[in-house]
Amino acid sequence: MATDTDPDRIERFEDIDWQATEMRGGLSAVSRKAFGLLLTLAAVCVFFLYDYYLVRKRKPTVPVIEWDVSQVDWMFMVTLAVIFFYVLLPLYENPRMTRYYWREFRKNRAAVFSGGFLLFVFGTGLVGPLLLPKPEIALELGYQPPVFTSVSNNYPIQCVGEAANGRCFGTFQHPLGTTGRGKDIFRLIVYGMTVSMQIGLITGLIIITIGTIVGAVAAYVGGLADEVLMRYVDIQLTFPTFLLYLLLIYLFGQSLFMFILVFGVTSWGLIARLVRSEALQRTEEEYITAAQSAGAPNLYVIWRHILPNVSSTVITAVTLLIPSLLLYEAGLAFLQLGDPSIPSWGQVISAGRSDLSFAWWISTVPGVFLFFTILAFNFIGDALRDALDPRQTTQE
Amino acid sequence: MADELLEVENLRTQFDTDEGTVHAVDGVDFSVGRDETVCIVGESGSGKTVASESVTKLIRMPPGRIDADAVRFDGTDIYSMSEKQLRQVRGRRISNIFQNPQGALNPVYTVGWQIVEAVQMHSEKSDREARERAVELLDRVGLPNPGTAVDEYPHELSGGQKQRVIIAMALASEPDLLIADEPTTALDVTIQAQILDLIREIQEDYGMSVLFITHDLGVVAEIADRVVVMYAGKVMEKGDVYSIFENPSHPYTKALLNCLPGHGDLMGRIGGSLPSPLDPPDGCRFADRCDYVREECRQGEQPPLHELDGTDHRVSCVYYAPGADPSPLQGDADGQGSNVYSDGGYPDE
Amino acid sequence: MSFKTYVAQRLLWTVFATFIIVSITFLLLAASPNAQVSQFAFEAAQNPGTSAEEAREAARQRLGTNQPLWERYTEYMINMFTLNWGYSQSGGGQLVTERILNALPYTALYSVPTTILSVIIGVSIGLYSATNQYSRFDYAATFFAFFGYAIPNFWFGIILLVIFGAWLGWVPIIFQPDVPWLSFEMLKQLILPVIVLVTAQTTGLMRYSRAEALEYVEAEFLKTAKAKGVSSYRVITRHIFRPAAVPLMTILISDLLGLFIASSLLVEVVFSIPGLGRLTFNAILQQDTPLVLSTTLVGVMIAVFGNLLQDISYTVLDPRISYDSRE
Repeated sequence: MATDTDPDRIERFEDIDWQATEMRGGLSAVSRKAFGLLLTLAAVCVFFLYDYYLVRKRKPTVPVIEWDVSQVDWMFMVTLAVIFFYVLLPLYENPRMTRYYWREFRKNRAAVFSGGFLLFVFGTGLVGPLLLPKPEIALELGYQPPVFTSVSNNYPIQCVGEAANGRCFGTFQHPLGTTGRGKDIFRLIVYGMTVSMQIGLITGLIIITIGTIVGAVAAYVGGLADEVLMRYVDIQLTFPTFLLYLLLIYLFGQSLFMFILVFGVTSWGLIARLVRSEALQRTEEEYITAAQSAGAPNLYVIWRHILPNVSSTVITAVTLLIPSLLLYEAGLAFLQLGDPSIPSWGQVISAGRSDLSFAWWISTVPGVFLFFTILAFNFIGDALRDALDPRQTTQE
Repeated sequence: MADELLEVENLRTQFDTDEGTVHAVDGVDFSVGRDETVCIVGESGSGKTVASESVTKLIRMPPGRIDADAVRFDGTDIYSMSEKQLRQVRGRRISNIFQNPQGALNPVYTVGWQIVEAVQMHSEKSDREARERAVELLDRVGLPNPGTAVDEYPHELSGGQKQRVIIAMALASEPDLLIADEPTTALDVTIQAQILDLIREIQEDYGMSVLFITHDLGVVAEIADRVVVMYAGKVMEKGDVYSIFENPSHPYTKALLNCLPGHGDLMGRIGGSLPSPLDPPDGCRFADRCDYVREECRQGEQPPLHELDGTDHRVSCVYYAPGADPSPLQGDADGQGSNVYSDGGYPDE
Repeated sequence: MSFKTYVAQRLLWTVFATFIIVSITFLLLAASPNAQVSQFAFEAAQNPGTSAEEAREAARQRLGTNQPLWERYTEYMINMFTLNWGYSQSGGGQLVTERILNALPYTALYSVPTTILSVIIGVSIGLYSATNQYSRFDYAATFFAFFGYAIPNFWFGIILLVIFGAWLGWVPIIFQPDVPWLSFEMLKQLILPVIVLVTAQTTGLMRYSRAEALEYVEAEFLKTAKAKGVSSYRVITRHIFRPAAVPLMTILISDLLGLFIASSLLVEVVFSIPGLGRLTFNAILQQDTPLVLSTTLVGVMIAVFGNLLQDISYTVLDPRISYDSRE
């Protein structure tokens, strides 16, 4: 199997070419990518320094749109830059490869729907907060039902839509209704998309980065370094992150930044193991030996030959890891242990919990979105695993 | 024909796959007499293994589908039996040995456990009696130290030893018919001969019939009474071992014999490859690779098995149709090797 | 290496890992910006024979004398390993260990049936699915698996509670801890939490056991078994399940650990069950540092020993394992 898919493989991994060619010099397409990324990161840095030194705390960084950039926003910017330069740009520059992906991807209908849904969530989460004002508390607007549904007139203080026969009907003003404190659920959902995407993508990037580096180093350096790193991974995998997070928020206070940091920094154990075992297998293979005997430096070999080959395994594993992060976040938000300043779906579910018997929509709508987002990540992860599962050929 | 132990009529086994229906065995007849050894010969993919496993319906269903006009064993049609009745036949009256001893034993149970299971499946023996029987069987198949081997796990044994264990398991209920599917292919040459001797020995001791599946004509010459030559799910030729070797009549059989060292061209091989089992071509399955192919070979069905000189030797080839002249096939039985070797060979089943 | 040496080695490793983990908690406590918390780091170092008030007094004095970090650390470690976990600040001067012991039975009350049910249901559905791959049942099971995985269990819980508790009134909305354990009332109030957790647990087990069994449904030794005359039921239970159980064991334990650690907290809060999860939760809300620390450590210890158990059971189940090749 390995041999007849090889051409595709090479083609497929062109996108994660890293800065390999930089080492050979010359301003090729690849180093342009790295250059672009560095430039963007530098811009983010300047912006950050400006915010840190020149803008006073609790003042919006960008006054025009009232945007006070948070720690998470900074990380999100970096993540988006990486995604742009190492996912979108290569896809655009290699239309043939993109078409190949699309052909492969199209075969799994559930994954296509899931992909579409996630793109929608991602796009809306990215653009939505710029177009829609932040959901505000408006007590007199509480308990407005979603459009096409109604609720007994006893609950809303003031009915925005039509009121007939003692029932208050929903309007397009609040298409998904409002919470008990009058926050518009549609806007909450959109803002929640941003939060979910931030959790998924930033944490995912942190996990990929640390896991890959640790795994590759352990495999390539070997000896004591390998032993120590893998023992550490053993301990980390035993330590339940959820409890660690509980302890940490108890000690240091709760924030989304903390959540992303804790889960990002402690969830890469499996990835590191995967990368290590895959890299160990790869180092045995001939092209690595060939590269080494041609005088390629170790770092170059890892960068150029090992990382691209493990990337599919890593991406699959992370795709399947993200849903559990989203579930944890929602669970913590539900327990009021999440970041109270962030409108995540879990918080809306929590907010509507006690009103569920009459205002069913408050908890149900975000719950449904959470459900489908998790489902979508799972479908895509499963489809990726089916397509790339290395185990299928190695079983006796 | 009344003394036949097993009679298979028009056996058809198909597999439903994503690409379509694979006709692995496509209307095959054969029979095994009492105390007789019948060999089914053919290259990999000819359907011989599937045919042998279809006899007691060992094929996974789905994706497999098995159908036959009749499969009579000792006078009763085992294909009209319920699954429960069929289980009474499996292992008790018809036993199987498989090609790959590596995979044929469950890795997480001891050898003894697996033989005891076979013993107790068809007898009321207590655990202790069954264990004694297991040791006895292991001793019978020539496993050194059967008393300790009984508590070993399969991974602690060599390939030849595993095959002996599997044979011991097959003997547990002293069956009437042993179906051996390439039992020596996966083994070293020296071990092959030992296992073959063992099978012959126990056949005599127990008075069993043997249905032996192989691609190795050397083995056929050694053990067979009768031979069935299969190709692409069809029977090409069958008859007693002497007439097949003396007078190979189907071009495919001739070609097969030419592949034997010491016959015709050194390492002469049959060019081309098996026809697609998804959509078998019209006419004779071998037509595409046959040097004597004629127009009528590519029409209609596979030719019926024509009798040769009124004997039991039958050939599925238009040259032997009543009134046809088989002489073009005669004469240069050794001149087949003109095609370039291209077949990847065996085994892959 | 013999089996005994292997177990001894694993045991040593577990002790070492525990040591590291407890040390980390100390460092976290000492580094915490929360004054009350860092004070606890001293309290814990204090002899637990004294009352909470005395301890606090002594701690304040020590805070002034600025005892060296190393000494605080040794005392802390000794206390932790001798189960001298101090007094709960929120529970009226109760010992922390006592509160944990009181809460544990309630966690066991629903988690024991959950574990048994989800293992039985999950594994049997998985095996059946694998042996009947691509059948309608298989598709239904896969659908159920995705559903069970994707539905946030606290959300599922409150929705069930609204439907069966508030609307239909079949089950109590608030868990009654003083109901006799072996009574119909207890059964009634346990049904929903068990359903929620079984849905969550079953799906993982089901998918894993299906995947593992699929590795074996085409195995040649199944054909051998069938040729012996073994019934298909026995083929599944003896010849597929047993080899599949080896890798399944790994997943089983880590999955169940997940249950005890994260899910139990959410479910206990939703259904107001006074178990370990709720104890942890309340401790956090009430800023009860000794209790937070201890409940967390209990969870971690369960995970650590679960892992040990998993490694050992793995070697017991698989005769092919050579102890040297395992870490």
